[in-house]
Amino acid sequence: MDAAMSKPIIRLDAVSKTFQAPRGGGMVEALREISLDVRPGEFLSIIGPSGCGKSTLLSLVAGFLSPSAGEILFEGKPITGPAPERGVMFQDYALFPWRTVIGNIEFGPFARGVGRRARRDKAGELAELVGLKGFEDRYPHELSGGMRQRCALARLLANEPKVWLMDEPLAAVDLQTRIILQDELLRLWGDGVESADRPTVVFVTHGIDEAVLLADRVVVLARRPGRIKAVIDIDLPRPRAPLRSVPEVARIVDQLWSVIRDEAAMAIAEEGN
Amino acid sequence: MRRSAGLRHFLLSWLEPLSGVVALAVGWQIASMVAANPTLVPPLQTIWGALVDLAHGDLVNDIVASLFHLAGGFGTGAILGLLLALLCARFELVAAVIDPIAEFLRPISAIAWIPIAILLFGVGQGVPMFLIFYASLFPIFVNALDGIRRVDPTLVRAAEMLGASRRLVVTHIVLPAALPAVFAGARLSLGVGWVAMVAGELVGADTGLGYRIEYFQEFFSMEGVMATIVVIGIIGYLLDALLRLLQSSLLRWSPAHGGSR
Repeated sequence: MDAAMSKPIIRLDAVSKTFQAPRGGGMVEALREISLDVRPGEFLSIIGPSGCGKSTLLSLVAGFLSPSAGEILFEGKPITGPAPERGVMFQDYALFPWRTVIGNIEFGPFARGVGRRARRDKAGELAELVGLKGFEDRYPHELSGGMRQRCALARLLANEPKVWLMDEPLAAVDLQTRIILQDELLRLWGDGVESADRPTVVFVTHGIDEAVLLADRVVVLARRPGRIKAVIDIDLPRPRAPLRSVPEVARIVDQLWSVIRDEAAMAIAEEGN
Repeated sequence: MRRSAGLRHFLLSWLEPLSGVVALAVGWQIASMVAANPTLVPPLQTIWGALVDLAHGDLVNDIVASLFHLAGGFGTGAILGLLLALLCARFELVAAVIDPIAEFLRPISAIAWIPIAILLFGVGQGVPMFLIFYASLFPIFVNALDGIRRVDPTLVRAAEMLGASRRLVVTHIVLPAALPAVFAGARLSLGVGWVAMVAGELVGADTGLGYRIEYFQEFFSMEGVMATIVVIGIIGYLLDALLRLLQSSLLRWSPAHGGSR
């Protein structure tokens, strides 16, 4: 319970975000008074129905957006913009199409001024680590969806960020690939290995089972405006990969589902109108 | 099997465009036979003779002069067009000032500026260069600006998140992302630049292929005019082919241009 005692790495203090709707629409309240502490080294999942502001929340922590009200602190200091210490994995990969696999992976170190030799070596190691050995000189359009996601993960790892912000990273790949990538994500994060410098993960997903399997805590958001509906501790042992078919996981998924069912039903009804 | 299919494909890829050229040549030859005044429509062998004469005479000098005009006019036009596009994309105020000026000047043919260009530069290198510059400026500006404005904002975010400075985002994200559009604009610019060059040399220069046409016209040598026109067509085609080659090698990463391996 050391982690719970230590100071939060990310603190959201009554964070609200309001957007101007496009084409002359009114103001849209995406998030309302979100308060949340993220503990160093924890794996936090955020779930909720579509339109609940999960991605907005992640963009705020990434520094792509700034809050309309409230404050977001990273290691005690306000977030003023994107930074390499907070790495992001985007839903649509966002690989640079004109750079090869190696070129994408080494972009972070390159941007931070690491010498050519050192960053090439590092990129090569990371390509191997995520299973892209032999594909180093391919361009993104020559890769499968799963390989693109591995490349995006390696690109994120190259900067050794303290926080991994992941926006539905596995939503666009098929089921088998998703299971494999979940396991690899856990392995790369350090699942089951107690370590002081393990990165902190904020993982946005719409898969309840994915959230339960991966996370230490699951934050459930309600929609319109996005608010925290529940924060649920997942008391499952680690490593998690072997627990995939354990009944306990299914029980927690059911419990979570009962929390968000009404919200999800409302979301479907509204979209139907 | 595969080999013969490849051969057939290769032959077809050359025969098809060639058949159009042959049809054109045959049509011209027939016209020269039935024309009341054969000096106006000289037969192919006469044009060929003029071409050989030209090749033994000033042809190389004419081509070098024309390419020099093109390099000066297209080079400055393309670079300025690209810089203006970057500035317009970056600063709303610049766009607000430049856009209406560009929209006003763009539909005016470069040829309309010939009298003013001759007054400004006198007969010489200046007129064709200015005309090429003017003609090539707008296609690359418009296309590059459109390309820069369409850059996927997620890629910019990704670069910023990875630690890229503002300058690095421009040079390593915005420019490569806009490169396909820049190339589309450059090819258009080169095409209209080549057209403007001939017009400028025809009336405002004493060197180049356009000047050579005017020279032959004074001697009423239609075969000389035709021979020069053929050369202009071939070089114009080769220049575009060169740019296409450069495009497909630089855009190897783009599924729409370079294709897969």
